[in-house]
Amino acid sequence: MEKKTRLIYCILTVFISLTLVGFPIYAQEAAVSVNELIEHSADYNGKSISITGEAIGECLERGEFDWVNISDGSNAIGIWMSKKDAAMITCYGDYKYTGDTVIITGTFYEACPEHGGEPDIHCQTLIISKVGELKNEKIPVAKILLAAGFASSALFLYVAYRQIFRKKA
Amino acid sequence: MSVRSAEIISYYAGYVILGTSLLMIIPVVTALLSQEWVPLLDFTISMGIAASLGLIFVLLGRRTRGQAGSIQWKHGFAVAALSWIILMFLCSIPYMLSGHTYSYLDACFDVMSGFTTTGLVLTQDLDHLSNALNMWRHMLTFIGGQGMVVLALSFIVKESSGGYKFYVGEGKDIALVPNVKGTARIIWKISMVYFLFGTIVLWIAGLFIGLNPASALLHAIYMFESSWSTGGFAPMTQNIMYYHSFLYEVVTMVFFIIGSFNFGLHYAIWQGKRKEFVRNIEIQSFAITAFLATALAIAALSRTGLYMDAVSMFRRVVFNVVSAHTTTGLGSVYARQFALQWGDAGILIMVIVMLIGGSACSTAGGFKGLRVGIVFKGIISDVKKLLSSERSMRVYKFHYMKDIVLSDGLVRASALIIICYMVLFGIGTLLGTFCGYSLADSSFEAASVTGNVGLSIGITSASMPAVMKIYYILAMYLGRLEFLSVFALIGMAITGVKRIWKRKRG
Repeated sequence: MEKKTRLIYCILTVFISLTLVGFPIYAQEAAVSVNELIEHSADYNGKSISITGEAIGECLERGEFDWVNISDGSNAIGIWMSKKDAAMITCYGDYKYTGDTVIITGTFYEACPEHGGEPDIHCQTLIISKVGELKNEKIPVAKILLAAGFASSALFLYVAYRQIFRKKA
Repeated sequence: MSVRSAEIISYYAGYVILGTSLLMIIPVVTALLSQEWVPLLDFTISMGIAASLGLIFVLLGRRTRGQAGSIQWKHGFAVAALSWIILMFLCSIPYMLSGHTYSYLDACFDVMSGFTTTGLVLTQDLDHLSNALNMWRHMLTFIGGQGMVVLALSFIVKESSGGYKFYVGEGKDIALVPNVKGTARIIWKISMVYFLFGTIVLWIAGLFIGLNPASALLHAIYMFESSWSTGGFAPMTQNIMYYHSFLYEVVTMVFFIIGSFNFGLHYAIWQGKRKEFVRNIEIQSFAITAFLATALAIAALSRTGLYMDAVSMFRRVVFNVVSAHTTTGLGSVYARQFALQWGDAGILIMVIVMLIGGSACSTAGGFKGLRVGIVFKGIISDVKKLLSSERSMRVYKFHYMKDIVLSDGLVRASALIIICYMVLFGIGTLLGTFCGYSLADSSFEAASVTGNVGLSIGITSASMPAVMKIYYILAMYLGRLEFLSVFALIGMAITGVKRIWKRKRG
């Protein structure tokens, strides 16, 4: 066999081996949506999965572990994680803030026996992919004008109401 | 409908609208305290529109002032039915302005869901909702549970005669004291005492499960309002699952069970008549159906092997069955889990309990345990009559605050309302299947809207067909007002149109 052909075979073998070894890991831990997890919960039950989403609400401290709720836009789910992992999240999403975007790798349970049959994820690794921030609340001028307009009309009608009913009385 | 009737309806509906506009002060204050400036403007706009419209309605019917004696039953029914429609449109404005709904129809859907204590949601991204809008959503469901029309008219309008007709028009028919103002005030007193107690209990529970003090208080207010009024709303997307707490689930469960009881029963117990709790036909009916449904659901779900221990079974099965039976709609599983994991038996059990619902004259929906009890006793008495001698004349009675004779008319009236509910449920199921959903999914969702429950199997979403959204709004509305008021309003509208038509031809 020619040296060149042998080299091609070698590269192909390495590539195929890497693909065969790497694919199950990729397949197992490819980011899935929360709705996908719920819809195919039996398939994912007890398996290692990866989800990406925004930390919402607040951290619920429970002894040595914490609950953090993650929303990926399709739905939200509770992540059971160590205090050390939870401490990495500094910003939680609400009306004023966009929470940290996190990539969670962990084990999914469709009915977690440890947590009263709840569908949850037990976190193994947590990566902050984007730090959350304060939202810029812009006040539209049109809303100010509308508020002033309708408040004035209500006041005007109230004056008319008072006058009409005072006359009647 | 005569001009006189139109004026009476306009006058009282105007006061109901005005009362609701005044309630918007609470989210305005919430927005101020939370420094949410855009929601503050949204509620100022909404309040301005509602107050203006309310005043216009009152002024249009100004000749009615001081003539409360001229109110007839049809007016009471029409005011209740019309006020709910107008309020739905007005109370949707803050939702629409917030940008959290895709359309005005979605906003109206959520408001009707709140008013009727259903709890189905089309509002998007609940996790980023302002405190002001969250306060408004939960307030609507709390007020809807006790009765908006009664609240507004009892506290704003001075004349109290004729009030009973509005009270009945809103689907409540128990007189705790001789005048309706007193009855409405007792209902509100009971609710407010429970509100204070429930909020404190849930606040402590919230602190215990790791919420910070300020948000624990807000969550306590929201979750109490939702539980007590058997509403089903929650401030977060995950509903009760957001808290991951057995304690929080048990506390809310206690409140929604108590909330589904008749206000008359609460009042009787407050007055020391504790035996009423055991003798009451509704409590007996609820205890039997709740026990049977829970036992059957546990049996059905244990075959799946999904929940292997008692705690899981209680938190995921018992909680949801009782939530459905009391027409609360707080869910401790994801909507799609009902479809994917509960199986046909589980879904059927849920459909049945959602249709039965809670007690009459409570915050709960459904065709009510009282009617189930009356029809059941009616069947038993008929069988007994068949088996006994023709000479024997036995009077059958049941206990509902007092001993009541089981007459054929009463059984027929109860059966008629149950038939109306079943027709509403049947049409909803048929519509769902026409729109491409499975029979099981369609019947689950139709039972949920008909019984004002709020649990979803996954159909209710912003992407569902508009015709289904409109039908669900109608079903929630009809189910809550128990048909009569809406039929009276339609009847009056038809009569009015006929009169105009005749006048034009003549």
